[in-house]
Amino acid sequence: MKTNAAVTVALVKDTFREALARKVFWGFYGLSTLCILFFLFILKIDLVAGAMATVSLFGKTTDQGIDPAELVRVVCGGIAVFLYTWGLALAVFASGSLVPSLLEPGRIELLLSKPLSRTHLLLGRYLGILLVVAANIVWLVVGLWVILGIKTGIWDPAFLVACASALFIFAVMLGLITLLGVLWESAALSVMVPVALMLLSPILAQEKTAARLLSSEWSRQLYRGIYHVLPKVYDLGHMTLQFVRRQPAPEGAWLAVASTALFGCVMLAGGLWVFSRRDF
Amino acid sequence: MNDDYAIETEGLTKVYWTAFRRREIRAVDALSLRVQRGATFGLLGPNGAGKTTFIKMLLSAARPTAGSARIFGRPCLQPEARRSVGYLPENHRFPTYQTGAGMLDCYAALSGVTGLERRKRIPELLELVGLKEWGDVRLGKYSKGMLQRVGLAQALIHRPQLLMLDEPSDGVDPVGRIRIREILQNLERQGVTIFINSHLLGEVELFCRDVAILHKGRLALTGAVKDLTSGQGYELSAKSVPESLQAELLKSAISSPAPANGTFKVRFDTREAANQAIDQLRLAHCEIESLAANTSTLEAVFLATVEGRNGKAAKP
Repeated sequence: MKTNAAVTVALVKDTFREALARKVFWGFYGLSTLCILFFLFILKIDLVAGAMATVSLFGKTTDQGIDPAELVRVVCGGIAVFLYTWGLALAVFASGSLVPSLLEPGRIELLLSKPLSRTHLLLGRYLGILLVVAANIVWLVVGLWVILGIKTGIWDPAFLVACASALFIFAVMLGLITLLGVLWESAALSVMVPVALMLLSPILAQEKTAARLLSSEWSRQLYRGIYHVLPKVYDLGHMTLQFVRRQPAPEGAWLAVASTALFGCVMLAGGLWVFSRRDF
Repeated sequence: MNDDYAIETEGLTKVYWTAFRRREIRAVDALSLRVQRGATFGLLGPNGAGKTTFIKMLLSAARPTAGSARIFGRPCLQPEARRSVGYLPENHRFPTYQTGAGMLDCYAALSGVTGLERRKRIPELLELVGLKEWGDVRLGKYSKGMLQRVGLAQALIHRPQLLMLDEPSDGVDPVGRIRIREILQNLERQGVTIFINSHLLGEVELFCRDVAILHKGRLALTGAVKDLTSGQGYELSAKSVPESLQAELLKSAISSPAPANGTFKVRFDTREAANQAIDQLRLAHCEIESLAANTSTLEAVFLATVEGRNGKAAKP
């Protein structure tokens, strides 16, 4: 048990080293740090008797007072949306090559000669990538949460949910990246397919509009089938935004979470199965 | 389960298929091989003979189509079977973002070496392979020979009982080769089984006591190097041999190589015939230059096996 944990730690550490050796991850962290610095130094908030008197941005001050709780909700919602769009796309882009690189000839043979199962090896890499991205998300979200908390005095834990939900959707996408990586060992394909699914998600989410536009019953069934099988990136993003803004969750939100989680599990299990049977 | 053998395969077969399963390629074909614990074993064969596929199957990088393979009595597909194996692949690609020490630490942890032991072993091994000063340098800065040496250190980090080396001295300078050979000889004395896959027949002949030659996926020849390279009969060289005596000696000889620098050479298949010839030469006051047992080289054995050239017959 202790040896297994040490092996997992070694795999995670190796993934961190590889990720940090790539400039794209430094760019990823740099962007988060810039965002934190922006809120730390550029945004100036004056509070009078617990209510916000003025907000200054780049030296320009608002004319009228804003409710600080509303401001925090708006800012947090904006960041949550940013995480869901650019953050997730960047994470997919940065990590797309980390599974194929593990399978490079000359490297995989040596790894497989070690006394660990293939499942352990691939799950160790999966966990490593997840933790690299998690560290960045936590750095950004918690950093902003602390800065906004200090500046406004409002410590809204709902924003921290953005961490969990962003990481959840990335974990699902990473399952797909893992499957594609072990199937084709192509970094480009490992990035393209998840990004395509992310772009497709808002279109698929317009189920009611599509039902009106599609003429035949079979095409509506097909549309619904595709919608239910694929990860609901858009729905989950919308749900997170509602949660951060303390608004009620949309209808069928938890079903979207469950089916997206199922998609991630199936993809990851598929990746493990293919990896366990492949010759190198 | 018999752990007297470091490696034991029975009918091991690997079949690859071309696209759409149109044609099968038997990379390894019903290979049965036993390597004794503590042996120094060389695996030889021309390109495409199936050597690397064989090693990959032993280390579970490729799954056998048929047959079985065991390492110290354990089925090779069990991860535990590989705990006692140290491996250096031929075209290794060590992560260039790691330092030498970092890479050793990572692979040692994957091999189940504790943190305390790793801290002790890493400097020891870097010194052993002559890279003491290079531990903190990224592998991207290493030369081919240095990568090979740090790769050897990686294979030794967990004190394996079976060392599998694929072209261990590839890219290493002559001094480095001698150093590697010394390290391997020291491991042999400690009872470590050493399995080498190499194209350098001279090196294999120098180091390994047993060899196997693979040809077209099949085991073409196996045996002790000493037995395979020992020739039959004796070769006698003498000077100032009168022509009449030369003709007489040739009657009982098996062959006579062309004379060089006035030296008459003749081969006999038995010791008695050679002794009789010596008596005749001494009587005629001829100068005997040398008498030696006929030997072959591993290269000659190899060529005879894979190309059917003159030499020892190929026997599986």
